[in-house]
Amino acid sequence: MKAFLRKIFLVDLLKGLWVTMTYTPQPAFTFQYPAERRPTSPRFRGVLRLQAEPGTGAQVCIVCDQCAKACPDDLITLGGHREPGQKLKALDYFDFNLSRCSFCGLCSEACPTKPVKALIMSEDYELASYARESQILRVDQMYDGVAIERYTH
Amino acid sequence: MGLIDHQFTDNIITTNVDTVLNWARKSSLWPMGFGLACCAIEMMATGGPRFDIARFGAEVFRASPRQSDLMIVAGTVTKKMAPVLRRLYDQMPEPKWVISMGSCANAGGPFPTYSVLQGVDKVVPVDVYISGCPPRPEALLYGLMRLQDKILKEGTVLRKERVIKSGASEPVLVEG
Repeated sequence: MKAFLRKIFLVDLLKGLWVTMTYTPQPAFTFQYPAERRPTSPRFRGVLRLQAEPGTGAQVCIVCDQCAKACPDDLITLGGHREPGQKLKALDYFDFNLSRCSFCGLCSEACPTKPVKALIMSEDYELASYARESQILRVDQMYDGVAIERYTH
Repeated sequence: MGLIDHQFTDNIITTNVDTVLNWARKSSLWPMGFGLACCAIEMMATGGPRFDIARFGAEVFRASPRQSDLMIVAGTVTKKMAPVLRRLYDQMPEPKWVISMGSCANAGGPFPTYSVLQGVDKVVPVDVYISGCPPRPEALLYGLMRLQDKILKEGTVLRKERVIKSGASEPVLVEG
């Protein structure tokens, strides 16, 4: 008899609807990505970035090849030359093959320059490209970062 | 579509038809979830309510290649999986696009071994490469928007070939 009355008055259905109703006034859970960007966590590792001296813009990298040696997949190739009379080597090229990179951060851990680290893991993660060739980053892209299309209409 | 594909030169009717068709194509990309490894977890997260790929009209992850326009290759493609992937790509109806998601699908990732395909572009033509290990859901959404940009530049009834893949950073059109 009790089961019959439950069926007649749709008790189970109303219970279920009540759960739905309690959840309905909550704000939307969806993150509107191109309009708002989620802040990255402090230890987030994005694409590699070469840093220059803040303020002066002078070269920090000492072309020591430590990052290239530390990379488990041999993705970094860099080279420089020494001007006569200069103590610091000038960085000629820094090629970084992004397509294989697994963002482990061993290269930036190996970077010995102080107090400004020459090689850091930046917070950029928007890395879509149309061609595999454009995933090899040259030295200017390493300094400025990969060009990002902003889709905020 | 075979009768009118790439058959017309530019004029006020065909360019407008082209724009409408391209808009329809880019706004309802039905992906085939090709989850192969850990990138698939991020792909599922993108499909979930937090990031909600439905905002871009791409929420219908089809299990059948016959119903999908877009193949998101998410994960390590082994050489045993490569013929299967190619077969599924061949079964997808035109027009079709491929997103290569993550380092493994892009170039083999940290597996330069005998068993792993060194880049999914060795078996299927890839439109957008997304770097990351794995890419964040936002990065996948960004890649999807890049693909939508590319689709808008393609010719549907106009006499333009598909956007060639070897452009530097911007898609380059080929006049047919």
